[in-house]
Amino acid sequence: MYDVWKNALAEIEQQISPANFSTWFQDTSLLSTDSGAIIIGVKNTFYVKQLRSRYLDIITIALKNNGVTVNTVDFEVNTPTKTKVKPREVTSANNLIKEKIRTIKNTSKSQNPLNNGLNSKYTLDNFVVGSNNDLAVSVAKNIIASPGTKYNPFFLYGGPGLGKTHLVQAIGNELLRNNPNFKIYYTPINHFYSDFIEAIQNGKGKEFYQRFQKLDCLIIDDFQLIVNKEKSQEEFFNIFNDLYQLNKQIIVTSDRLPRQIKTVDERLASRLTWAGAYDLQLPKFEDKCAILRAKAELEGIEIEPEAIEYIAENVNTNIRDLEGEFSAILLMSDVRNMTPLELIQNGSVSVSKTSKFRPTTSKQVVDKVAKYYDLTTKEMCSKTRVSHIKTARQIAMFLLSKELNLSTNKIASEVGVKDHTTVMHGIKKIENDLKLNFILRDQIEEIKEKIYG
Amino acid sequence: MIIKVTQEKLSKALNNVSRIAMNKVTLPILNNVLLRVEKKKVYLITTNLDMAVKDYLPVSNSEDGVVTVPAKLLAEFVSNLPKGETIEITSEDTKVKIKAGKYSSIINGSIADDFPELPEINEKQAVIYKIGADEFKNSMSQVLIATSSDLTRPALTGVYFNTSDHTLAVASTDGYRLAEKKLIDKTESEVSAIVPASSLQEVLRSISDDVEEIEIAFNDDLVRFRLGEVEIISKLIDASFPDYQKLIPKDNDIFASVNREELVRITKLAALFARSVGGSIICEAKDPNTFSVKSIANEYGENDSEIEATIKNTGKVNLNSRFLLDALGALEEKELELSFSNRVTPIILKNKKSKLYTHIIMPLNS
Repeated sequence: MYDVWKNALAEIEQQISPANFSTWFQDTSLLSTDSGAIIIGVKNTFYVKQLRSRYLDIITIALKNNGVTVNTVDFEVNTPTKTKVKPREVTSANNLIKEKIRTIKNTSKSQNPLNNGLNSKYTLDNFVVGSNNDLAVSVAKNIIASPGTKYNPFFLYGGPGLGKTHLVQAIGNELLRNNPNFKIYYTPINHFYSDFIEAIQNGKGKEFYQRFQKLDCLIIDDFQLIVNKEKSQEEFFNIFNDLYQLNKQIIVTSDRLPRQIKTVDERLASRLTWAGAYDLQLPKFEDKCAILRAKAELEGIEIEPEAIEYIAENVNTNIRDLEGEFSAILLMSDVRNMTPLELIQNGSVSVSKTSKFRPTTSKQVVDKVAKYYDLTTKEMCSKTRVSHIKTARQIAMFLLSKELNLSTNKIASEVGVKDHTTVMHGIKKIENDLKLNFILRDQIEEIKEKIYG
Repeated sequence: MIIKVTQEKLSKALNNVSRIAMNKVTLPILNNVLLRVEKKKVYLITTNLDMAVKDYLPVSNSEDGVVTVPAKLLAEFVSNLPKGETIEITSEDTKVKIKAGKYSSIINGSIADDFPELPEINEKQAVIYKIGADEFKNSMSQVLIATSSDLTRPALTGVYFNTSDHTLAVASTDGYRLAEKKLIDKTESEVSAIVPASSLQEVLRSISDDVEEIEIAFNDDLVRFRLGEVEIISKLIDASFPDYQKLIPKDNDIFASVNREELVRITKLAALFARSVGGSIICEAKDPNTFSVKSIANEYGENDSEIEATIKNTGKVNLNSRFLLDALGALEEKELELSFSNRVTPIILKNKKSKLYTHIIMPLNS
C-alpha cells in the first residue's frame, strides 16, 4: 500500500507545481483501499477541503494508473507521529513511588514467616523459559515432581543476572506448595559461613549442624563465594554428605563450575557435579523480547513492540540489566507522559551501554594484553599460530573492538593480521568462549582493570 | 472589484488577519490575504494551514469580486496612510490599485483560485459555548503558561477543553506543572478537544476592547472562535490528553495560607540565589505560623526569608522558582492557599476564595 501511494505521488508531483505538491501532499498517506473505498491520511483538517476540491481528480487518476480500484475517495486526519498504542494510564510520579515503596514493604513482609530464606515473589510462572534456559528449567520441574532422586545435587551455574536465584527460589517455593511440611532452607554460601561462625562462637556448633540435618531441601546460592577456610568447608562438606545420604534434595548455584573456583576442595568439587551441571546462558534476541513481553504483561502495561525490540537489541549484558533498563524506561515514560517508543525515538533515553567511553589507546590495550600473557607486543602481533599466542591476539582484537569501538580493518592493522575477516573471526571466537569459559572471563576482567587502572 | 472604505477600519482589519500570513513558507499564496467583496461587504481571509483568520467590513461603495494580495505589504501600506482618508481599492486581473487622496500604489496580487479552500464549522453538529471576553482572556492566560513547546508530545502543546460533571474546564500541562480553570458550570453539552496553544494566543491577540463575548464552536477536528466580526478557525490537536485529574493529589495534609505579594517578593529574592542550582528553592511551612523560602548557592551565598502564614502541619518541599513565580502570577487573589504533603507529592496552589483555578507543580528532587 505504501509503495502504491509512493508511485501515485510521483505521478502527481509531475502534474502540479512543486510548491503545491510539497504543501498539500507532503504528509499524506494511503490508509485504506478496501473495495475501492480509498482513505487518504492528511495532516489536519485544513488539508481535507483543499485536497477534495482541487486535487480529487488528479489523485483518482494517479491511483487508477497504479492499479487501484477507486470508487470513493475520503480524507482523514492522521497525525504521522501518533502511535497506535493505547495511551498508558497516567499515574503521577509520586503514586508510582508510593507503589514501589508498597511493593518493597510487601515483599519484605511476605518474605519470611518460616524463616526459610525463600521469597514468594519468585515462582516458575514468572520465570520466562527460552532456548537459553530450557534444559535447566526442565530439570527444575523434575526436581519439583520428585525431589532428592535423579537430579541430586542440582548444580546450576551461569553469569550474573541470568536468573539463577530466581530459578532455585522458584523450586523451593513450588516444593513448599506441593509439600507444606517440607523443611526447606535457602541461604547464600557467605551467610552460611557467618551463621556457622556465630554458632561456633556461641558454643552452639552442634545445634547448627542438627538444624541442617533435619532439612528436606537445602538451597545454596552464590557458591563461588566459598572461602578457603578448611573448617567451614569441612562443615559444609559434612552437611552436604549427610543430606545426600538421606536422599534430601540439594541445590547449588554458582557463577562458574566448581573446578574453576580456586578455593574449592577437590572432593567437594567432584561431588557437586555428580548429577551433572546445568547452565543458564545469555538470552538470545528472541528470548530477550519474550522476557520483556512477559514482564510487561505481568505489570499490566502496554508497550510498543518496537520499544521492546530496541531494548532487547541494545542490552547485551544480562537479564537483570535488561529488566532494569526496561523499568527505567517505564518509569521515565510515566513521569514524562510519553510512550516508551516516543522516549526512545526522541533520544530521551539511551540504552546502549556498549559505547561507554573510557580513555585509553589502542597501543595501551595491545601492550597490556601482551604483558598479561607474558609476551612482548612484537611476539603477540607476529604471524605465529602457536595456540596461546593466537588466543592472546584474539583477546586483543576483542578488547579493541569492545572497548574502543575500532573498525575491524583498523584492528587488523593494530595487531598485524592480514585482513578484517580474521579479526571478525577472532572476536566471534572470544565472544563464544566467554559464554562458557569463566577463567577467560576473569582474565579479561583483570586485563581491563590493568588497562584502566 | 471595487472597495471604498475608511483607513482606520481597513487598517484594523488588515492587522487582525495579516499576523498569521507568514513569510518563508513553501506555498507563496499563504503570504497573501484574500479579499472578497460580496453584497457591500469585504471579507479578508488569511491562513497558515493550521488556522485561518477571517474578518469583514461593511463598505459603502463596492463592486463584487475577489483577489489575493501580499498581506504584510498591504497592511503596512494602509497603516502608514493618514487617518481619516477614504481608501479606494480596485483590481484588474491581478493588478491591485490602492488609492487614498494623493497616495496611490499598484500591488501585484495573484488570482484567488490558488488560495486554499478552508474548512468550515458544521453548525448543526457543533458544540457551542459562549464566554465573556474578559473571563476568557484571563482564563486562557492562566492555563497557557503551563503548555509545553515540545513538539514530540503534541497533546501537551495545546489547551485541553473538556467537560465533566456538567462543567467546562480548560487544562494544560508540560509534565512538570499543570493548570486547570473551570469555565462554565451547568452545561449540558460535552466536549473533549485540544486547541493548539499558538491558535489560542492568536485569539487572545485579536480580542479588541469592544468585544464582549466570545463564541467557541467545536467540531470533530475543528474549532472556531468568534470575536465580534473576527472569526478564527483552527485545527484541533489529534492526540489524547492525559487523564489529568489523577495528577492532582487528593490527600495533601500540609496547608499554608499566605499573602500572595509577600510570597512573590521572597520567592524572587530566593530565585536570585537559586540561579546556579537550576532554580531550586526550598519552601517550608513551620511553627509558629511561618512560611519560609530558602535557597543556597554554594559559591554566592544563601538566602532565607520568612513571611507570616496560617499553617496546618509542617513540612518542606523543593520547587523550581520560575514555576512558582509563574503560578503566583497566574493566581489573582490577595490570599492564597498552598497545600503539599511531602517532598515527592505535587504542591497545589489556589486562590483562598475562588476555587475555580488550580495550579500544581511537581517538586524537584532534593
